Amino acid sequence: MKKKVLAALLAGAMVVSLAACGNSGGGSKDGDSGSDSSSSMVVSWWGNQTRNDRTTEVINMYLEDHPGLSIDGQFSEWDDYWNKLATSSAGNALPDVMQMDYMYLDQYVDNGLLLDLTPYIEDGTLDMSNVPENIQESQKVDGKTYAISLGTNANAMFYNKTALDEAGITVKDNMTLDEFVDLCKEVKEKTGLRTNLGYSVESLPEFWCRADDIVLYGDGKLGVDSPDQLQTIFDLEKQGIEEGWHLDPSVFTEITLKSTEQDPLVYGTDPDRMSWCAFSTSNQLTAVQNAAPEGMEIGITTWPSPDPAKSNYLKPSQLFSVSANCEDPDAAVEFINWFINDEACNKVLLGERGVPISTAISDAIASELSETDQAVVAYINDVVTPNSSPINPPAPAGANEFYDILTNLEEQVLYGQLEPADAAQQLFDQGNAALASAQ
Amino acid sequence: MRRKKIINKTIYHVLVTLFGLIMIYPLVWMFMSSFKDTNTIFTTATQLIPETFKFENYANGWKGFGGISFGTFFGNSLFISILATIGTVFSSAIVGYGLQRCKFKGSRILFVAMLLSMMLPAQVLMIPQYLWYQQLGWVGTYLPLIVPYCFAIQGFFVYLVMNFIGGIPKELDESAKIDGCTYYGIFARIIFPLLKPVLVTSFIFSFMWRWDDFLSALLYINDSARYPVSLALKLFADPGSTSDYGAMFAMASLSLLPIIVIFIFMQRYIVEGISTSGLKG
Amino acid sequence: MKKKSLTLAQRLNRESTAGVVCSLPFIIGFLFFMIVPMGISLYYSFCDYNILSPPEFVGLKNYIQMFTADDRFWKSIGVTFYFALVSVPLRLIFALIVAMILVKGSKASPFYRAVYYLPSIIGGSVAVSILWKRMFATDGVINQILGMFGLPDNTSWLGQTSTAIWTLIILAVWQFGSSMLIFLSALKQIPAELYEAANVDGANGIQKFFRITLPLLTPTIFFNLVMQMINGFLAFTQCYIITQGKPMDSTLFFTVYTYQQSFEFYKTGYAAGMAWVMLLIVGLVTLVLFATKRFWVYDEGN
Repeated sequence: MKKKVLAALLAGAMVVSLAACGNSGGGSKDGDSGSDSSSSMVVSWWGNQTRNDRTTEVINMYLEDHPGLSIDGQFSEWDDYWNKLATSSAGNALPDVMQMDYMYLDQYVDNGLLLDLTPYIEDGTLDMSNVPENIQESQKVDGKTYAISLGTNANAMFYNKTALDEAGITVKDNMTLDEFVDLCKEVKEKTGLRTNLGYSVESLPEFWCRADDIVLYGDGKLGVDSPDQLQTIFDLEKQGIEEGWHLDPSVFTEITLKSTEQDPLVYGTDPDRMSWCAFSTSNQLTAVQNAAPEGMEIGITTWPSPDPAKSNYLKPSQLFSVSANCEDPDAAVEFINWFINDEACNKVLLGERGVPISTAISDAIASELSETDQAVVAYINDVVTPNSSPINPPAPAGANEFYDILTNLEEQVLYGQLEPADAAQQLFDQGNAALASAQ
Repeated sequence: MRRKKIINKTIYHVLVTLFGLIMIYPLVWMFMSSFKDTNTIFTTATQLIPETFKFENYANGWKGFGGISFGTFFGNSLFISILATIGTVFSSAIVGYGLQRCKFKGSRILFVAMLLSMMLPAQVLMIPQYLWYQQLGWVGTYLPLIVPYCFAIQGFFVYLVMNFIGGIPKELDESAKIDGCTYYGIFARIIFPLLKPVLVTSFIFSFMWRWDDFLSALLYINDSARYPVSLALKLFADPGSTSDYGAMFAMASLSLLPIIVIFIFMQRYIVEGISTSGLKG
Repeated sequence: MKKKSLTLAQRLNRESTAGVVCSLPFIIGFLFFMIVPMGISLYYSFCDYNILSPPEFVGLKNYIQMFTADDRFWKSIGVTFYFALVSVPLRLIFALIVAMILVKGSKASPFYRAVYYLPSIIGGSVAVSILWKRMFATDGVINQILGMFGLPDNTSWLGQTSTAIWTLIILAVWQFGSSMLIFLSALKQIPAELYEAANVDGANGIQKFFRITLPLLTPTIFFNLVMQMINGFLAFTQCYIITQGKPMDSTLFFTVYTYQQSFEFYKTGYAAGMAWVMLLIVGLVTLVLFATKRFWVYDEGN
């Protein structure tokens, strides 16, 4: 009997090694995603109920005009979405059309998982004639287009307009850091509200580096030459804690970070544990306004920067990409083209993913947007666009680890356990190591 | 004397009830929150009873996503959970019997393998499992969510059954053997009927775990219309846009119902016990 | 030997054969569903693997790195040991006490049992995550209650490295329902005759508990201890939904760190290595538990 068990175990071990071989060899057969031989396509995205409903509706509209085609719409929550996408990429079974984020774009392109859409733009299948040049540039990686932006977005600072109005404080756009710090002190004095200085906001150091003409991420290392170029955030946080206008770091442990509803701007009972502002992106305005308690009006302005014109940029908020393994790329591209250029389609979507990149479309839907959405459009067109510079290339692999290191160091500075200079040094060293090891 | 008994009883009930209230407070909180306006859930989190009871969250939640209602998700969950649970309960029962009552070479190895297989976190096995099921052509189907469970892969249940059988006097087996019963006969006629409490316990646990499992559904189900409730519930909250916590709590409350119903109907079998069924050994 | 003289039915009825036949579902299940994924993950642990591109064999690199150059690895092991060794015994003691109280037949017992079991069914849901943070918030219920008794009421339970882990331990203890159910069914399995005999001998409640109940429960206590220890070391949800390791990694569970490495940093090979180290640790702990078994677990056979 022992022998039999041993034999069985050996057989199992062989299967393992075979599986491992097949895997390390790479190109195993196309993933079986339950698709039929007839024309069918998988489209996946993340989002909430509104987005799921609207996207499903336009997919059905599209199918009405395309008999014989079937589309599997897959929707997930943000974290789940990326887990699933990564896992299916391991099995070479990515969806035909997938929603991409600028943060992940580089990694997917680098590993050859996305289809180069440049030829389709050149031959006009993907119609970019109504899309401004700067936006077309913003979605490129190394001069090629792998993803089409579904909406334009910009960094934005939200603030408690009601409280500030009551205290007679006005917020101006394009503040410098010094003006911002003065404002934080004034707000604390007059309203009791403290400041959340963008704790755990990934792109803040990058934003400030831009003011010094530094591109934060280089090739396998950080683009900064010395740690002190990363020190701004830590200095401000230390100052804020010492002078008493920054939120106590324990506040961040009592909320779910990145949850709009639990942002210290809108969530809390004690002004001393709430923030008058939140570092976010423009397309979140509706969500933040919805989450705000009754009677709290939310204002929108730019992130402060030593040089706002250099720091500000327009970014693609969400993009559509086509899998490199897609069986019928023409059909996938046709769908994307329709998605960004069709008026009827966008009258259903209503810029829920951001301001549509086609000016023809954004003009056509402008009148049907809600008041809040119109404020976002105005912010992008009138405040950011005239005073901005082109976006940095998408962050490389290893950037996620850099963000995690950043957040941990910010926490230690806020708790007073680390000096800003040491934090910057550690961020420099560990960040470089993270980027190098992810190469 | 009698009076003392009544006082003792009252104290017992008051204490058990009071403590019970603390225990289920979070559950009640979630249930109550499901009647609040979505945007007041957080601002009025400290207040248990809503000012006005609103049922919109239930209507809103039930309508689901993209035309797929929660009725569909509930149907999917029931299908998966019931099949996987039945598979788990029966396979674990027989394997538990084999490992506990029959001496054979290799049984120790099997037991160790069983324990070891419980010691790797699910998060690490996600990708390897996905690749393996993909090789089998199972991705996009319910098979990975059901079939493995019919092969007693959850050591917890096997060990639970083994432990319970260990408490059944061996003399029962012996006397049956003398009466000419085979090992299989002993299992079918003597042990299995006695296993009722542990089978019911297993059923409750397994059903609950399958019902709550979203990870495997996330990986293996591609068509949103085939999502189970556990996965659909997560769709209400998206960090990048407005989350509908009201609808989420409404549907989360509903999704507890099947588990509660199963528990209430089955719990008496757990404690009915075998002490009364004349096991004199 | 006597091979020839046995019919197939007789052969099948040999004790060893019957054992194998009965265990067959698990043998198949293990070989078919478990060993392959486990083997692949072991292989990954010797690879550089970022999910998006194929794994690359690098030998012991991952293991060397975690043992020599990863402070958070050690930190998370420490946190996990603390959590498991504190929460598991507390949870079991709690479960046993409540089971003893609820095993008595009264008309309300089924209702009580449901009430005490219910917290376990909401597991790691979003509601728990929100509520738990709300309760332990600086302006939350816990501090309000402390304030009523004139105690300091402005502690940030979640914001201090010394207290944050306890909010997770309390959550784990609060969900004692499954252990309680197992204790309940075990309590009912104890033959009533034993108690009757003890009554005849004039034993009181405490004597009965220590002479009959406890010894006969030891196999179940042992079972719960082993299972909950494994679960405790592999705990994920409590940390993931509530603290995410904050503040300053004081609540960083090993599995959550593994998950981060695998799905946030895309260092899946490294994460696989971490998981196998954890398997060794949990395996050792379990081995120790089994080694102590003969000293305190009542065995029917003897």
